[in-house]
Amino acid sequence: VGAEVLGPAHDDAAAPLWRLFESRLGHHLLVVPYTRLFDVPADAAAALRRGDASAVSAIEAGLEPVPGEVPLDVLPDVGPQSISLNVSNVCNLSCGYCFAGRGRFGGAQASTMTWSIARAAVDRLLDVASRSNPVTIGFIGGEPFTNRALLGRVVEYAAARGAALRQDVRFSVTTNGTLLGPDDVSLLRAYPFAVTVSVDGERAQHDGQRPSASGTSSFDEVCRSVGPLLADPGRSRVAARATVARPHLELRRRFKGIAAIGFQEIGFAPVRTPLGSPLALVADDWPHYLAESIALARDEVTRAVGGEQIRFSNLAIALKQLHRGASSPYPCGAGGGYFSIASDGTWYACHRAIGQDSYALGDSSGLDDQRRRAFQAARHVHAHAPCRSCWARYLCSGGCHQEAASRSIASCDFVRGWLDFCLTTYCELTSVRPDYFADSPRARP
Amino acid sequence: MPAPTNELKLLPRNATAVRQTMLVTGNPVSTRLEAGVGNCFPGLECDLRNLERRFFPFLTVDVLDDQDVVVVSVDLAGAQSAGLSPALVGAYETIAADQTTRGVLWHIDSITSSFPPFPQPTIRLRDLGAGTDRPSDAWTALRLIPENADITLVLVRSPGRRSGGPARVQLSGRRLPYLDANGALAAMFEPGELTQSLCSPWTHDFRDCGCFYWASNHPDIALPAASLSVPAELDVPTPWERAARGAGAIPPSATSDGPPNVEMDHYEINRRWQELDFVVEGRERATPYAEAEVAGRPLADDAQLELHLQYAAGVELAVIHLYLAALFSLQARAGAPASVSSDVAVAEAELRRITFGEMRHLRAVNDVIRGLHRTTRFIPALRVASHLPPIGGKLPRAVRPDRLTREVLQTFIDIEQPSVSVDGLYARILATLPALGPRAHLHERIRSIMADGADHFRTFRFIQEWLAPHEPAQYLRTLNPGPPTKADGAAFQIYSKIGTTYLTMLRALRDAYAVGLPAGAPEINAARVGMLEELEPLCLRLVAAGFLVRFETTDPDFASIDPPSDP
Repeated sequence: VGAEVLGPAHDDAAAPLWRLFESRLGHHLLVVPYTRLFDVPADAAAALRRGDASAVSAIEAGLEPVPGEVPLDVLPDVGPQSISLNVSNVCNLSCGYCFAGRGRFGGAQASTMTWSIARAAVDRLLDVASRSNPVTIGFIGGEPFTNRALLGRVVEYAAARGAALRQDVRFSVTTNGTLLGPDDVSLLRAYPFAVTVSVDGERAQHDGQRPSASGTSSFDEVCRSVGPLLADPGRSRVAARATVARPHLELRRRFKGIAAIGFQEIGFAPVRTPLGSPLALVADDWPHYLAESIALARDEVTRAVGGEQIRFSNLAIALKQLHRGASSPYPCGAGGGYFSIASDGTWYACHRAIGQDSYALGDSSGLDDQRRRAFQAARHVHAHAPCRSCWARYLCSGGCHQEAASRSIASCDFVRGWLDFCLTTYCELTSVRPDYFADSPRARP
Repeated sequence: MPAPTNELKLLPRNATAVRQTMLVTGNPVSTRLEAGVGNCFPGLECDLRNLERRFFPFLTVDVLDDQDVVVVSVDLAGAQSAGLSPALVGAYETIAADQTTRGVLWHIDSITSSFPPFPQPTIRLRDLGAGTDRPSDAWTALRLIPENADITLVLVRSPGRRSGGPARVQLSGRRLPYLDANGALAAMFEPGELTQSLCSPWTHDFRDCGCFYWASNHPDIALPAASLSVPAELDVPTPWERAARGAGAIPPSATSDGPPNVEMDHYEINRRWQELDFVVEGRERATPYAEAEVAGRPLADDAQLELHLQYAAGVELAVIHLYLAALFSLQARAGAPASVSSDVAVAEAELRRITFGEMRHLRAVNDVIRGLHRTTRFIPALRVASHLPPIGGKLPRAVRPDRLTREVLQTFIDIEQPSVSVDGLYARILATLPALGPRAHLHERIRSIMADGADHFRTFRFIQEWLAPHEPAQYLRTLNPGPPTKADGAAFQIYSKIGTTYLTMLRALRDAYAVGLPAGAPEINAARVGMLEELEPLCLRLVAAGFLVRFETTDPDFASIDPPSDP
């Protein structure tokens, strides 16, 4: 990766509008708004580095969206399109880093969800969602399959209502993967489910981080329970999500262990909160974590060059997003298109914020639009002083709202370093495997 | 600030970069599928019937005729992995089993779904065309089924063919959407699928087809290739399929009175189709296409650019006034020969088409100005120019509506002439907007306005040719230039009403242009409806009352704009 050259700004004097970088192919330019990527001949790159006025003005002459692109400096006017239901407030595992306190959120979620609360939320979503885009109903907790009766009832109800309304309804579930029985697997196969299984590495790593209350190996339970679904996913799509906690920051061994179970999509997330937790990464960890991420990514890029798919989903998603030119002033849909419904029926902007008053924006009878706009305005990346002047502002978008307090120069350098690697890799991979970025060949009904 | 450069070479790599910088050179914007004009001149961009080929999950069908739709392929792997009921998968398997059996076809017998506005839930294809209470034909029936609607198909094997298995199956599924979630044509359509049934030059129907049933780069008439080096007076549209080709052959004129039988006959087109030239920007290309350089002195800075764009919008508005005044002055005199009526009718139609083009330009120029304003709101440019750009070193010409006299028609030709007047104004704007980089789409927008100008120039020359044999008194109304005063009674009232209606339209356009499309679509639509349903009848009444059509307002927001001084 070549030397970083930042262009001058137009709104915020410190906010770069473009950035030069290099790959094995030569020089490239990232135009920050709307994530436009160009190849640049060496002379033009040199002119930009020199600050040649005509070269710079050619770039800065047009930073506006083209038709069809959503301006980055406005509050989006989108309605709820996906929700998650906290169907359970209990869990059979006791992971040290769990943000949900095993589903109880430190007492904020004292009861399990009832059918009437779940149905009201689904009805509300289907009433207000756009018909031209799919809606997603997610199940979360606690461990959702400890309340499988409610989960199954919601799926059948929402699918039937969606069919009547001609609304494409999809589902997602985040599960520890230890409790799936044959009926659960049948349900997941029968509907368009995105199944995210929390699995942290090979057996010892996993069991160390995710102990079961009964003392048995939760890794063995995952293998037994999820294996049949991986072998025949039906309409579902199954991915692994691994949490990386101190002091074990190595990724390749974890990855290998998870891939051996049969997962083809494997993503990692480091522990960042709560601050001061012995499991959360500290400043000195981030360069190490970046090196681990890049080493694993290089393995997968080698596979991709050989014609295979990339299984490391942090990388695969970043590359696809760069290809699309994804750019957003928000890291997620919290409070915009996405809400998480607590067991008491409150609509929170985020599933990690159950019980936090500032995230409570309404209930199934309606949202408080004023609170919602204020919530979104406060979280727009332009509203955050260190983020608004970062070149990665529309790619990282400030990161998870719940983890904002853990942001540090070191952790942000990790994000920038990772994006740098992804930008370079994208340019190189598009040259050797352009087909990797082709759309899926056939739309499925 | 220095003038923007277009020397910075940027090659787009990802989707958003391509979106901003790349339009395929030579193709007008109208050749994008979403802007295509379907089964009309200038030709098909695709055969719209093919959009229905994948209306039903896991099937590809062909519409053979008004009552017959056959299965051409089955995506059996897709059906088997979609979690369908065993009975449904079995039905797909039955059809798929016959796909390799020569001569066996599965036909759709009946469709149960909804076909708004027709009430019947079930139609049998063989009954189509028999009454007004059902779709007229199979293609229409498929097209009427709303996206995502439930469909039950009954399919039957070709009569008389036995290859084992049931001869009749039933399938249920949802009507598939045409577009994906991003609004692009769904990925299920394969390259070439939408154009596969268009006429091809090596087929007889290409020679015979009277409805321009071929792709838009194969028009009926075109300007001869520059490499033929024809004299300027012969550089006029010629039949594209002419038999006499190559160096030394003088391309015959393609006017309505042109010589007969100049085109290749059926046998010849089969044999010589490869001699037909590609046509880009209305001209045959015998050599690889290279975009023509437009000579224009760049403007000094963005402020000058915006001033010139505001004036350009004013010029568009001014020529709309001039062309409409001229349009409504046309009327074949009672008792005039039939040739007068037909020539006036076609002149009217072309003048109207040109005027609508200028209206689109007005919006395009405003889009470009809005594109210059990255974050700030802009005030749309809707002030009519007081003067038109100068022609040939003369002073700018004051805007004065008039009838379509021979002199006025000549000024219209002068106004639209390439490289001078309006075209010269746009050439400077174009030279200021870089062809590559983030402003490339603004550059393209201006280029397409200029391409239209060249078409308007040619068309006005045709109008001149059509009207030349006739005495102006035979096709022009006698009109008082006006404006009417109170003493003119009813005419004054109509004139006043035109003024208020026109002002309402300008305000609607101002609101629309401020936000652009699609947000401004309702206001643009309101202005369009107001123009066609209110303003046009008023204009006809005003000329019937003996006065020239004028659009005038005293609202200071729409006061006239003077040409900018030469920077």
